[in-house]
Amino acid sequence: MRGKGANIAGVLPLFMLFIAGGISAFEDIEKLRIWPLPAEVSRGGRRMILTGDFKLVTEGSKYGDPSGILKEGFDRMLGIVKLSHVISGDQNSSGSTGSALLEGLIVIISSSTDELEYGADESYKLVVASGDKPSYAQIEAKNVYGALHGLQTFSQLCHFNVKKKIIEILMTPWNITDHPRFSYRGLLIDTSRHYLPLPIIKNVIDSMTYAKLNVLHWHIVDTQSFPLEIPSYPKLWNGAYSSSQRYTFEDAGEIVNYARRRGIHVLAEIDVPGHALSWGKGYPALWPSKDCQEPLDVSSDFTFNLIDGILSDFSKIFKFKFVHLGGDEVNTTCWSATPRIAQWLKKHRMSEAEAYQYFVLRAQKIALSHGYEIINWEETFNNFGSKLNPKTVVHNWLGTGVVERVTKSGFRCIVSNQDKWYLDHIDAPWQGFYANEPFQEIKDKKQQSLVLGGEVCMWGEHIDASDIQQTIWPRAAAAAERLWTPYAKLAKNPNKVTTRLAHFRCLLDQRGVAAAPLAGGGRVAPLEPGSCLAQ
Amino acid sequence: MSHNLLLLLHLFIFLSLSITSSLSSPSPADSHPYLWPLPVEFSSGNDTLSVDPAVTLIVAGNGGGSPIVRAAFERYMGIIFKHVSSRASLLAKIRFLRMVEYDYDITSLKIIVHSDSEELQLGVDESYTLMVSKKNEQSVVGAATIEANTVYGALRGLETFSQLCAFDYLTKSVQIYKAPWYIQDKPRFKYRGLLVDTSRHYLPIDVIKQIIESMAFAKLNVLHWHIVDEQSFPLETPTYPNLWKGAYSRWERYTVEDASEIVRFAKMRGINVMAEVDVPGHAESWGTGYPDLWPSLSCREPLDVTKNFTFDVISGILTDMRKIFPFELFHLGGDEVNTDCWKNTTHVKEWLEGRNFTTKDAYKYFVLRAQQIAISKNWTPVNWEETFSSFGKYLDPRTVVQNWLVSDICQKAVAKGFRCIFSNQGYWYLDHLDVQWDTVYNTEPLNGIEDPSLQKLVIGGEVCMWGETADTSVVLQTIWPRAAAAAERMWSTREAVSKGNITLTVLPRLHYFRCLLNNRGVPAAPVDNWYARRPPSGPGSCYAQ
Repeated sequence: MRGKGANIAGVLPLFMLFIAGGISAFEDIEKLRIWPLPAEVSRGGRRMILTGDFKLVTEGSKYGDPSGILKEGFDRMLGIVKLSHVISGDQNSSGSTGSALLEGLIVIISSSTDELEYGADESYKLVVASGDKPSYAQIEAKNVYGALHGLQTFSQLCHFNVKKKIIEILMTPWNITDHPRFSYRGLLIDTSRHYLPLPIIKNVIDSMTYAKLNVLHWHIVDTQSFPLEIPSYPKLWNGAYSSSQRYTFEDAGEIVNYARRRGIHVLAEIDVPGHALSWGKGYPALWPSKDCQEPLDVSSDFTFNLIDGILSDFSKIFKFKFVHLGGDEVNTTCWSATPRIAQWLKKHRMSEAEAYQYFVLRAQKIALSHGYEIINWEETFNNFGSKLNPKTVVHNWLGTGVVERVTKSGFRCIVSNQDKWYLDHIDAPWQGFYANEPFQEIKDKKQQSLVLGGEVCMWGEHIDASDIQQTIWPRAAAAAERLWTPYAKLAKNPNKVTTRLAHFRCLLDQRGVAAAPLAGGGRVAPLEPGSCLAQ
Repeated sequence: MSHNLLLLLHLFIFLSLSITSSLSSPSPADSHPYLWPLPVEFSSGNDTLSVDPAVTLIVAGNGGGSPIVRAAFERYMGIIFKHVSSRASLLAKIRFLRMVEYDYDITSLKIIVHSDSEELQLGVDESYTLMVSKKNEQSVVGAATIEANTVYGALRGLETFSQLCAFDYLTKSVQIYKAPWYIQDKPRFKYRGLLVDTSRHYLPIDVIKQIIESMAFAKLNVLHWHIVDEQSFPLETPTYPNLWKGAYSRWERYTVEDASEIVRFAKMRGINVMAEVDVPGHAESWGTGYPDLWPSLSCREPLDVTKNFTFDVISGILTDMRKIFPFELFHLGGDEVNTDCWKNTTHVKEWLEGRNFTTKDAYKYFVLRAQQIAISKNWTPVNWEETFSSFGKYLDPRTVVQNWLVSDICQKAVAKGFRCIFSNQGYWYLDHLDVQWDTVYNTEPLNGIEDPSLQKLVIGGEVCMWGETADTSVVLQTIWPRAAAAAERMWSTREAVSKGNITLTVLPRLHYFRCLLNNRGVPAAPVDNWYARRPPSGPGSCYAQ
């Protein structure tokens, strides 16, 4: 027997289990457990079971999946819904409960390209089950990367039923229409303060897909170390911490490829001229002097030739349309303190501030010549905004009000105000990450359209392989919903979403991501025994 | 963008850069091999050998064809060649290169396993020899050879082999420095354990597997699974299906099949899983499904000693678990039994009076009856030390006593002829966050036991990762790197771990091993932390923190 009666019989035992577990059954069934919340959702009350040979169907799709991006995404999805459980129940008969079988997922993609383009349509429609084929779920998307988002949402609808030992979806039919609010949803990692091994970076990328983040901002180099191979200037990675804390050029290409196949852009950054001391380990001529090693020597063409070499090499592997040129926290005293540079300043009638501007603008031109659009930290705008290339995207970090001024001046902007979205501020609780609105007080539609999105920043001074994931998660997830979900659907009071976020944090844990408890700021160990769902 | 304080930072970094540069690059010229734990015997030379990414596996001996060996070989190839996108896709490339006659020094790995038995039990032969040398007159093919009596010895040899392999960033190839290598190795103790606690916090299956995988890197060989405690009962027990109602939630559970998969996964890595049900004291969660197990609704622990039902449930659990856990040891707990509830509950009190039992008599009665149930299922009981200190002479002589509380308990237990596992809380409890790596390292399980025949009764030791404040988000960094310090203590010879200034002889190798764990994706915490699982104190090289 199918239909309503059977359905209740199916749900009831689970209902009992929730009570046993001390979790409110009512909430668990009534509330959505999807993070980030989709734009539009409707659901029913019927349970379906995934069959043992649950398959991907692509008939009718214009996308040929030439390099297996969709198939791999589908296989990964199947892996994570199992949560490493052994699926030993009867998956191929509806059994006495009358639950319907779900035999596969139809994915229909209208674009044939698998180019990952910034700003391309990431929307998808997900129905479980399809009207035409009631034993299939269906995802429709403009391109494969939208479909990958659909797979993520699908994975969150699936549950492992511990009693029946099968994968099921409750509350079908589901009808979900979804698209991101912002096209730039970033996470910064910093491999200069601490080297992050390749498997760790890949783990971070995987975890980003669960929250539908789409830009990995890779702050590769800084004062402390230069871990990346630059073929044009092979001594640069002499500035690595050690002979083994390095990324080959191929490793970087592999990271970009790994991310791309998951719909994630990699934004490479070289932070000039201020955060670049480690460059001089291999090429001491880049330092103003041996005693005064930062910022990079503004007076020497070699400096710019070298930047040109780096960006030329970058353009071979970092295919994202943007490159980040830093430009923050430039303390120019070394320039005046070094006689050679002081003379050069005098000759060119430049103040230190003008030399800073000269440096940034010249670096911008080099990046443009390699086909990149530029992102710079906000100090460049604050100091000489009117001179910046109009294609510049200004990356906010310091102050409030910057976004307003940047967009008013016609520049695009990425929001990362440190008080709310710096993950290394471990006293910053998730509620602040959730509530941080990129539009702030901006009402003007045109200005709003210049806000590309936002980014949470995992600066690495106290972050290495041992604590990166729990410092990122779950707080980055709170920002991810802010960046994905339509404004009208966001909770005005973050505490309203605590249960759903706790659920998502446990989901991350179950998937092997070391997401920290919600209680407190970042990276808190649990204070006492308890359920993951309650901490 | 980042923190201000730049000038100060620069100064600091400058200093630390100049300091670390001397420490940070583990150079092949260093005198100590960067192997963890240190093998019993080893000799090395001055050759640098390149390892073919398409290195082939050649097996020999009765056990050479074991799927355990084949699977381990593939795992370790993934670890050794992680810097190239994937071994499989590389094979094609390599074959192409072959046409231009690129010569690698090591093109095959030969694994000889003499025994075809894959039985994994306490005391299984884990010894191996490993030879790595260049082509010579005897062998036209340059090769590495692992020879072992059992597949589990071969696994240990593979781990050592993987630690000899280093990715060289200049040639972008995997190299073995200081060859030829000749290594002969075996463990000092047969029981080298790590406890995980899935009752205080549920650990997802994937996380347990990460822990098991990481144990193999340090050659630990027993996962002591403290499955249940008063807080939650996450495991399915088919005979008493209401027991896992004591789980925290429907999500935080293991099915029987999940548990079997964990045991299988561990076995593939040469790791035994010792299950524990801690009775009668740490068992409140059992009563969520079967309230009759509680003395009363208001007084819920220890388990009701008066009812046959209590022992029927224990027997049922053990019957179910016997199908999952093939290891000969089974842990029955028996620690921290507060018997007030027995005294204060009328029907229990009457029962005590009827038998003329003190509460201590009842505690003994409970533990001994549970022991007999375990023995009847062909298990050797392990009990926490309170059982020995309270009524040692009544314990079944086969009992293995596990120390935690008193530092000389193993000394006393072996003197009475019992076997013992050393886990003293002051040194080897990983939830004691203030215990640093050197304290863990310097703790000797055989302290105070001089007689070699008594020493033999100390079967090994165990570091304990109690779960009150350790969940998925922090468990691996609380375990590592300190568990590695104990792992070397238990594997390497007593002489090797007891001599010299460990800051010079051990610390650089431990730094290296911690970075190796990180490189393999294990979030091991900095070694130098004065407090476990803290973040690194500032920017710096992994090899210097």
